[in-house]
Amino acid sequence: MRLGFWLGLAAAVGSLLLPLLLYDAELTIYVFIGLSIIVVAGLNLLYGFAGQVSLGQGAFYAIGAYCAGILARRGIPPLAALLLAPVLTAAVAVVVGLPVLRLRGHYLAFATLAFQLIVLSIAGQFRELTGGDTGLTGIPDLTVAGVGFPLERRAFGYAYLTWVLTALALLLVHNLVASRPGRGLRALATSEAAARGSGVPVGRYKLQVFALAAAFAGLAGGVYAFFLSYIAPGSFPILLSIQFLVMSAVGGVAVVWGPVLGAVLIYILAQVLQTIGSQPGMPLHAPAELNYAVYGLVLILIMLLLPEGIVPALRSAVASGRLRSPGGAAPGMAAGPGGAPVPPPARRQ
Amino acid sequence: MVAVNQVSIRVAGGELHGVIGPNGAGKSTLFHLVTGHLRPTAGEVLFEGRAISRLPAHRRARLGIAIAFQAVRLFRGMTVLENVMVGAHARTRTSFAEAALRVGRTRREEREIRSAAEAALERVGLTPVAGRAAESLPLGQQRAVQVARALCGRPRLLLLDEPASGLRGFERQQLSDLFADLRAEGLTMLLVEHDVGFVTRLATAITVLDRGRVIAEGPPAEIRRDPAVIAAYLGQEAQSA
Repeated sequence: MRLGFWLGLAAAVGSLLLPLLLYDAELTIYVFIGLSIIVVAGLNLLYGFAGQVSLGQGAFYAIGAYCAGILARRGIPPLAALLLAPVLTAAVAVVVGLPVLRLRGHYLAFATLAFQLIVLSIAGQFRELTGGDTGLTGIPDLTVAGVGFPLERRAFGYAYLTWVLTALALLLVHNLVASRPGRGLRALATSEAAARGSGVPVGRYKLQVFALAAAFAGLAGGVYAFFLSYIAPGSFPILLSIQFLVMSAVGGVAVVWGPVLGAVLIYILAQVLQTIGSQPGMPLHAPAELNYAVYGLVLILIMLLLPEGIVPALRSAVASGRLRSPGGAAPGMAAGPGGAPVPPPARRQ
Repeated sequence: MVAVNQVSIRVAGGELHGVIGPNGAGKSTLFHLVTGHLRPTAGEVLFEGRAISRLPAHRRARLGIAIAFQAVRLFRGMTVLENVMVGAHARTRTSFAEAALRVGRTRREEREIRSAAEAALERVGLTPVAGRAAESLPLGQQRAVQVARALCGRPRLLLLDEPASGLRGFERQQLSDLFADLRAEGLTMLLVEHDVGFVTRLATAITVLDRGRVIAEGPPAEIRRDPAVIAAYLGQEAQSA
């Protein structure tokens, strides 16, 4: 717990100072990683804690981006458009979630995947609203009361905006999981019957966490739209949703810090694959296909070797190290910042 | 198929009411009509004078009905203490928004839930394992965690579905002692159990089911001598022999 606190503080301070050292191109990566962390933090609540798989978080990311972009282009103040993005995305999630959340396991995964295909198709069809397949161009820059980021420091401004929103997202998750509703969510992941028997309104809770995860994705999507000032259906491929899920699984499900590590590692991996895939002589589809193949491989390896993800594995390694050190008090069960327990190493009695 | 038919059973406040019967008698069906897991096609379930047949299970929990399942249902990835804390869900109110922002009643309720859960664990003698992963405990202790989880909700009625099944003698005795204590404190309990001896030692009143019907009811001493009960159990033994 104390170690987790210091590591968290180090990560917060480090990431806060980092933009001072980065050029614009690197700041862009910084922003994208931060936005991924926000989406994955929401997915972690939905999938990691409440046990509901979604292969369609990219759809909510897209809805947030389109809401922000469309509203801002129609004269709504950009800040209001950004704040409306998660609200409208959550509203869509409620409408979609009502029928879809009756499904479980891979049926739910398929339904959310199908939802993303529908969203992409709608975005491609309604040309007046969304710009169709060519996309939405000329999204105004983010301004607060008419004041925006100075043009030469623009990426820098978005980096800090992203940092603040990421920190807020992680703080909300941290607070939520170790609370009454958080325990209700974690309970229904194992046994809906026992959760109901303890008074947890299972259907309503699933809908709420689905909407909350969608709101996180919608907020990140809104920032994405303003940052790039251009979005199109092609910006939100199915691959993006798979990437979010892989980030969640790699970092560690049901731990607050999992999304941070997962997003950073997978984003870097994606960049490496992109570089390899776009070498001269590579076929046109190489980057995407390389991504799919490697994500598949990463998922298989994680499920085989570290089924709970990297952060929980590191934690139990630390816990067992403490157990072995002579004179060290043996922690029965180290509860992390998210209250997620680390199973104690087997003890012989 | 009719699992229970024309069964009328009345659990008085403060009593430990046992329901016994051979396999297939309809005990579990009756149990889940009360928990809300099943809905009756005819008839009504009344709790403190209120018709609850149409209430979903989580609403029944709010009225003060708590459950200990036969197939132990503890929450994976949560400590024993956290499992028990879930039991307080029915009587607390902190919302998503309040919890996420840590405002309003969040901290106060959280403190109260934690101390109630610690008290419930103390009550069932599991304080030493409070920090362990719930699924790592032996079956007897998992059953006790379920009881602690139920107690953390301060129930007005505790439903126990075959709490002794699969337990060794020592564990069975501990659980029996716990129920006897709770009975002495005036907690109303409905105990559905296959093991006749376990029930007759604990219950203040017993209903005997066979093939979906009530074949006898009364205090344990009478039930043990009832010819219809003896015949039902002997009949089953003859069948399985």
